[in-house]
Amino acid sequence: MNDAVRIAIRIGAMLALLLANGVVLIYMLRKVLGRLHIRIGPNRVGPFGMFQTVADVVKLLAKEDLMPDSADKALFWIAPFVVFVPSFMAYIPLAFGPNLAITRLDTGVLLLLSVISLIPLGIAMAAWASNSKWSLVGGMRAIGQQISYEVPLMLSVLGPVMMAGSMDISEIVEAQRDVWFVLPQFVAFVVYIIAAQADTQQTPFDMSEAESELITGFVNEYGGMRFGFMFLAEFSNMFIVSALGVALFFGGWYLPFLAENPTALALGPVIFLVKTYLGIFVMMWARGSQPRIRVDQLLAFSWKALIPISLTWVVVWACIQRLVIG
Amino acid sequence: MIWGTGILNGFRISIRNWMRGPITVQYPEQRIELPERARWTVTHKLNPDGTPLCNACLVCERECPDHVIRIEMSKNEDGSKTMHKYIYEVGACMMCGLCVAACPQSGIYMSHEYELATADPADLTRVLLSDIRVPGKNSNKEETDA
Repeated sequence: MNDAVRIAIRIGAMLALLLANGVVLIYMLRKVLGRLHIRIGPNRVGPFGMFQTVADVVKLLAKEDLMPDSADKALFWIAPFVVFVPSFMAYIPLAFGPNLAITRLDTGVLLLLSVISLIPLGIAMAAWASNSKWSLVGGMRAIGQQISYEVPLMLSVLGPVMMAGSMDISEIVEAQRDVWFVLPQFVAFVVYIIAAQADTQQTPFDMSEAESELITGFVNEYGGMRFGFMFLAEFSNMFIVSALGVALFFGGWYLPFLAENPTALALGPVIFLVKTYLGIFVMMWARGSQPRIRVDQLLAFSWKALIPISLTWVVVWACIQRLVIG
Repeated sequence: MIWGTGILNGFRISIRNWMRGPITVQYPEQRIELPERARWTVTHKLNPDGTPLCNACLVCERECPDHVIRIEMSKNEDGSKTMHKYIYEVGACMMCGLCVAACPQSGIYMSHEYELATADPADLTRVLLSDIRVPGKNSNKEETDA
């Protein structure tokens, strides 16, 4: 097999994972929110409403591709892809099992976080190109929020990276063979989970969409599959931050006390996915439980609480690692 | 303060809801039993022989605040009455039950029929009774005397 075919297969696998994931996550979100609100959720299309998302995708694909008259045509056209592609690229360094990754990169965590931080660019383009006040306000909120929360996100990642001594996600997971990093790095974990929730604009922090005030913010003028791309990117980001959290704090494909068990190792990818989906469930649980907070409170929380905490933790952990562990 | 225990409490409440399971009633496949005192359409009570208890006294028609009951009747020479139509505008009825409370015969009651939608607005005007001969006071007396 030559390199081109191998690369094509890997890209195809990434794309399949992303699309399948999107469909599953939308269904899961509806069902989970339904149960949390004592409702049933979708139950009409197919058994247990399982084909509801498929029907929605078909609807989105069949819809007319509208473009507002006063929109900046080129930017409007290209913005969904600028949102979608970084989210797609973020799958590259993810490691699903021992020897199961698209690519092993020495700077995997860095690559993942840096491509994720390109998303605000696409959002800015969408918001500006739509030439609508709702979109612009939502877009400005999204950009401010994502840039603010990327800082604590990256700082919280430093703890596990220091412990593993590597930025390769596979090596970080290998380093958790005995102890999951969530125990020594609990502070970093708390910062990570809050920052990840805010960075992916999940509900307690979804001022950029704010259905009740901004009518979904920056995606306001988008319809059909262009909206679908934005939506898909959002769900894919949820998967990515959850997978990264599992890899950094919850031992990736390892189970506690069963790290040497061959069966557990063979089931590594399944364990990894189950943990990732549990993480996503927690995000949805937060989404179904918490009210949206105000945008100034959100930014103040990032700059006045999360960043000082995570900076202090980085310094404290660096001292501990140097002086105590050696 | 939003960053206090309220957040944890929110998580606790929503997961408790999860444990409770859905309370949705999937009408029309599932229906809940109406409470005994639920008030829906006005319906006539019948004697054991199938004739209505109603004696066309018109109290319900006068009592109705929405004027949804209209009785067309005429008096006969022998003192009896003929009720041509007992018309009930179910679309305008607010199910207050004043007609039932006022009925001296206790001849009507509020039924549990609650699926009132119709395809044709004309169906909202119902003729509950038609062509009923109501014996007058005198004829009643004669019958009992005999």
